[in-house]
Amino acid sequence: MSIVKFGKSVVIVASATLLFACAGSNTDDEQQVVETVKPAVVPTPPTKTPEELAAEANAAAREAAGTTVYFELDEDVVSSKGRAVLEAHAWFLSQAENSGIVVTVDGHCDERGTPAYNLALGERRSKAVAQILMSYGVSSSQIKTVSHGEQEPVAMGHDEASWSQNRRAVLDYTE
Amino acid sequence: MIRSILISIIFFGSTLSVTAVAEEFDFIVSGGVDSARPVAVLPFSWQGDVNGPSQDAAAVISSDLRRSGRFNPMGRHELLQQVDNYDDVNVDLWKEKGIEAVVVGRITQVPDGRLKVAYELIDVYRKNQEIVNGKLYTSNRNKLDSYSLFVQPENLRFHAHRIADRIYEKLTGERGAFATRIAYVAVDRSVTKSHRLMVADADGYAAQEVYSSSQSIMSPAWSPDAQKLAYVSFENGRSEVFIKDIYKAGKALRVAAFEGINSAPSFSPDGNRLALTLSRDGNPEIYILDLNTGRFSRITNHYGIDTEANWTPDGQSISFTSDRGGRPQIYRKNLFGDKPVRLTYEGNYNASSSFTPDGKTMVMINRTNGLFHVAVQDVETGAMQTITETQLDESPSLAPNGSMIIYATVYRGRQVLSVVSTDGRFKARLPSKKGEVKAPVWSPFL
Repeated sequence: MSIVKFGKSVVIVASATLLFACAGSNTDDEQQVVETVKPAVVPTPPTKTPEELAAEANAAAREAAGTTVYFELDEDVVSSKGRAVLEAHAWFLSQAENSGIVVTVDGHCDERGTPAYNLALGERRSKAVAQILMSYGVSSSQIKTVSHGEQEPVAMGHDEASWSQNRRAVLDYTE
Repeated sequence: MIRSILISIIFFGSTLSVTAVAEEFDFIVSGGVDSARPVAVLPFSWQGDVNGPSQDAAAVISSDLRRSGRFNPMGRHELLQQVDNYDDVNVDLWKEKGIEAVVVGRITQVPDGRLKVAYELIDVYRKNQEIVNGKLYTSNRNKLDSYSLFVQPENLRFHAHRIADRIYEKLTGERGAFATRIAYVAVDRSVTKSHRLMVADADGYAAQEVYSSSQSIMSPAWSPDAQKLAYVSFENGRSEVFIKDIYKAGKALRVAAFEGINSAPSFSPDGNRLALTLSRDGNPEIYILDLNTGRFSRITNHYGIDTEANWTPDGQSISFTSDRGGRPQIYRKNLFGDKPVRLTYEGNYNASSSFTPDGKTMVMINRTNGLFHVAVQDVETGAMQTITETQLDESPSLAPNGSMIIYATVYRGRQVLSVVSTDGRFKARLPSKKGEVKAPVWSPFL
């Protein structure tokens, strides 16, 4: 094995500091170089760890799922479709490296019914979502709930097409 | 009949645009005028500078009386006489036309700039002559009321409302509520301060901003002295309860900002306590805040939603909305310990309850077959009837005399305010000129 050939494999996977170490080493003493470098290099061949791959897959899943779950009139039950959305976000939030991330669950209602009751219903929806996130392993310290009642519709119409969009809980990562 | 109403409204509107009073609303009568009593309000005469009075007092009075649903003032072009005092009223002339009462008045500018406003109310059908011992005497028994007062020119319009209150009381036996105000929330999402808490005269004039925010404002509630408003603001990102002195500059007092929701404030009749909804203990419950000590006491205890507390007129009980039975219904609880009693059974959604001052009628929002309407329920018998045919009704609020209800509804795709008489016979809309309006609350007597 030549130092040049070995050096190539180092270039692909190793860090810049490791490269520096290689460049600075004595090319005459091939055996020594191989022995010092080899333990650092051997575990690296796969380009992505299973964890990285899973994180990427989850990011794609979250992207596809979006951040909103929808509700039926009067209800705070999260549908199976909604649960799938929450599962994707829960996986992300429950990773050790994301334990510092806090998500706010904003609960909303359509315009029908009284504003004060809807404020309470919106809270119930946001808490239903929080419960599901926790059942998927998210720490309660990572979840905040805020109800907006019927105050912040996304669709301004006064028909079911708008109402179905407004009965929602939205995951918000902007703190 | 209908034509005369339209004409007088146009006249009313044009009068005001001339005098440049900021008007936020139109007033469109949408039904129930047929049962109204015919009266005539003659234009008040003016003695003063060439500019004339700043307000057409007779038009203001006429409009108030019409707005009550109880009276149908004659259109100005139909008036049979142009006189300004009791002695000159030809009662027989008005009787022929079926007019029941005539209002005359005069405004005199005095040297210090104030206005002397005088008026008389004449009952056309009451005899003013009687025979005593074979002799005919003329009395003024048909003069139901007269009134004279000095006012500042800027207060002329509000004094016209006061005169309308007197007329209403003399003719119906019930206190008038025209010289009152309404608070409401105006929403215009095209501007930064999209939400504005407003106070206006009960007919929508003289609107002024109390508070504005880029975030939502909900649930305004008057203090019994009409000096303060409690309301819910999202200015800190979530619902919190504030109390603001309307007529004093300065910041609002934040009275509840606990974890969870802080909402639905309602002052006790004595003004010392504030009922409100907090979910700080896990789910929405009714609490009462003692405004003197700052202490909260919890009134309800149930895993369902309890909210929208409202005081009974005697201050001994509250009614509130709870879904402890599955769907929102109205319950009543004595503050001294009883278990809540369910009051509503018709329809699968009843909420936003309040009581007329006599405590005999409960006003609420009812949902039947998916439609939300204002409804009234006889407290004694429990009989309920819906009194509106508008869409998506919410936030009903009674006038302090219990005669009218102002509420928010959707008309032609916009949220507008409407009024309905508590007996359901008279209906009118108050569409705003711009943006949307909601959460109306009628002030106490001023």
